[in-house]
Amino acid sequence: MIPGYFYQPGSSRVQECTARHSGDSIAIYADDECLCESSVETLQVSAHLPGQASELTFSDGARFVPLDTGYRWPFQRRKSALLARLESNLVLIAGALVATPVLLYALLFKLVPGIAVTAVQTMPDVVVEQMGQQSMTLIERTALSPSELSAEQQQAVRDLWQDTLAQLDLSVDKYRIDVYRSDHFGANAFALPHGQVVVTDELALLLAEQPDALRAILLHEIGHVERMHSIRLASQAAVASIAIAILLGDMDIVAEVVLGSGSALMDLQFSQNMEWEADNYALAQLARLGYSGEDFAQALESLVSLDEDEEHSWLKYLSTHPSLQERIEHARTYTLSP
Amino acid sequence: MDSTSTPSAAQPGSQTVPSQLQFTGNGKEYFGIWIVNILLTLLTLGIYSAWATVRNKQYFYGHTVLDGHRFDYLATPLQILKGRLLAVGLFVIYSVVSGYFPLVGVLMALALVLLVPWMINQGLKFSMRMTRYRNIRFAFKGNFGDAMINFVVLPFFSILTLYLAMPWVLKRIDAYIHSNILYGDKPVHVQLQGKAYYKAALLVAVLGILMMMMLGVAFSLVADININPGELGAVNSGMFLIVPLYLFVISALQGIYQAQIRNHILNNAQIEDVAEFKSNLAPQRYALILATNAAAIVLTAGLAFPWAKVRKVRALAEATQVVVLPGADQVLDTAQQADSSFAEEAANVFDVDISLT
Repeated sequence: MIPGYFYQPGSSRVQECTARHSGDSIAIYADDECLCESSVETLQVSAHLPGQASELTFSDGARFVPLDTGYRWPFQRRKSALLARLESNLVLIAGALVATPVLLYALLFKLVPGIAVTAVQTMPDVVVEQMGQQSMTLIERTALSPSELSAEQQQAVRDLWQDTLAQLDLSVDKYRIDVYRSDHFGANAFALPHGQVVVTDELALLLAEQPDALRAILLHEIGHVERMHSIRLASQAAVASIAIAILLGDMDIVAEVVLGSGSALMDLQFSQNMEWEADNYALAQLARLGYSGEDFAQALESLVSLDEDEEHSWLKYLSTHPSLQERIEHARTYTLSP
Repeated sequence: MDSTSTPSAAQPGSQTVPSQLQFTGNGKEYFGIWIVNILLTLLTLGIYSAWATVRNKQYFYGHTVLDGHRFDYLATPLQILKGRLLAVGLFVIYSVVSGYFPLVGVLMALALVLLVPWMINQGLKFSMRMTRYRNIRFAFKGNFGDAMINFVVLPFFSILTLYLAMPWVLKRIDAYIHSNILYGDKPVHVQLQGKAYYKAALLVAVLGILMMMMLGVAFSLVADININPGELGAVNSGMFLIVPLYLFVISALQGIYQAQIRNHILNNAQIEDVAEFKSNLAPQRYALILATNAAAIVLTAGLAFPWAKVRKVRALAEATQVVVLPGADQVLDTAQQADSSFAEEAANVFDVDISLT
């Protein structure tokens, strides 16, 4: 005799009743009237959840819910109780507390970048080309305007570029340089995945008297292209956002912020590593071509002095780049290692 | 006639006594469910997340008890999994395209604008249909045109008014959602007033400006002491301080706004012949709960999440009473077409906000 509620099919009517279990059949009685009878085989039993009674659903949609929230049916399959047992198993819970951060780290910092790197290696050239051109179109519309430098000043940058490409034996078809004025970027240079490098008026002016330093910066940007950094970043961002979308079934905003800042840190770390890679590429090429790492150090120092005037661009630079001081020291002490 | 057992509907004339909504779950139980869900989700590379979602919802719905009867969550893990896989597939295409082909990505984002009202409607239809109370399912009967106007056109229009029309738009959105809900064959009626939304928005705006000013002053004091030129560590430690404080303040403001709006909606809503609602959630109390929840979650690196969620849901239940009307026993479950969970999952994955809480 199990007291409970009987819910009629397709209706909001509820009756207080008792369930009588005998052999392999269940009968529901309100007072002495039998409301429903069924064999155990045709019944559906709800999942085990702590603090919730196991309800029975009859084949016509009627339901019986015991009043005792801890009640479990003797014929309830053991399998459905497995999860409930796992969820209250202290050893497993303690294990999960240790395993979860480890697994999260492995997934986000090992598996995701791994997939991203594989994706990059199989990337067709058409995609790289399109990605670069379309990004350039967007940046050009939003943040760049035509250069205000004189024709000679622009030509000086181009000559330096052609000279560098020739020394490195790089394709003149793939690699091109453009000079733009930009209030948004300040003194800056950036590379697009398909080999286009953009130098801003401010940077060209700043290093007009130090072509060697400018060359070092250009080599750094070529390093980004050669190592396919933009593509890797895009792959990582895509794979990471997919991973997070899969993992975050349903979580509250605050949990999202915690995980979100984790993935932002991850991005930051990737782009910092990429800056070091590009730096090392530039330093290696400088050494190979017979120039000195000092050129690169000086270029960076010019940027430091600029930073003191413009706190705004300083913050922007910081966000994705390693500390300038560290990079300058690294450039000064760099020796070509095999 | 069937003898009904529910205390408030059993005796005629007792319908004016409201029933208290109860939440019977507890943080300890939920912690186990939560952490095992996460573990299994990570071990199965996300596949288990569908089962986790269902178990989560079953736990919270089933522990929400009104008048002696609990709510039920009816979706099955496979439904959720299929929907989620489709949505993630679409999201993969979207993020790959917008990552590698930014211009095409912009076009896709525009196309998404057309999809949003559809996703919101289907998502609401699915959530409502999967919610049951006493063998009666909820339903949602919104249409594309109204959703387009309320979720896309009017919010865009409010930008042109420098967001001055935003509270009115939010009122329209809430009215659209709630007045299209059905309990079985009984419609929900809401009478919402723009005044309540403007009052809540104004209060939050004023409090927000005040708190940000105080935070600004506090932060500049801290920064003045700490920053040595050329030392970046100081900036970083400042950031570690400012992010939790920011979350704390934002959560508090959210609580103040949500409490007022929730009270307004529930106190002006009824299910025809079935139920009237009362909500007396105190804004300052709810703000304190949300803010301390956020702080606890951040300080414990997420471990306080189950405790925080249970605490929030319990506070919401405690502040809610339902007057069960005599018609509550005569509701019939209307036959409805089954909706897929795809749109709901797509809406979740693309971060379209359709939460009802």
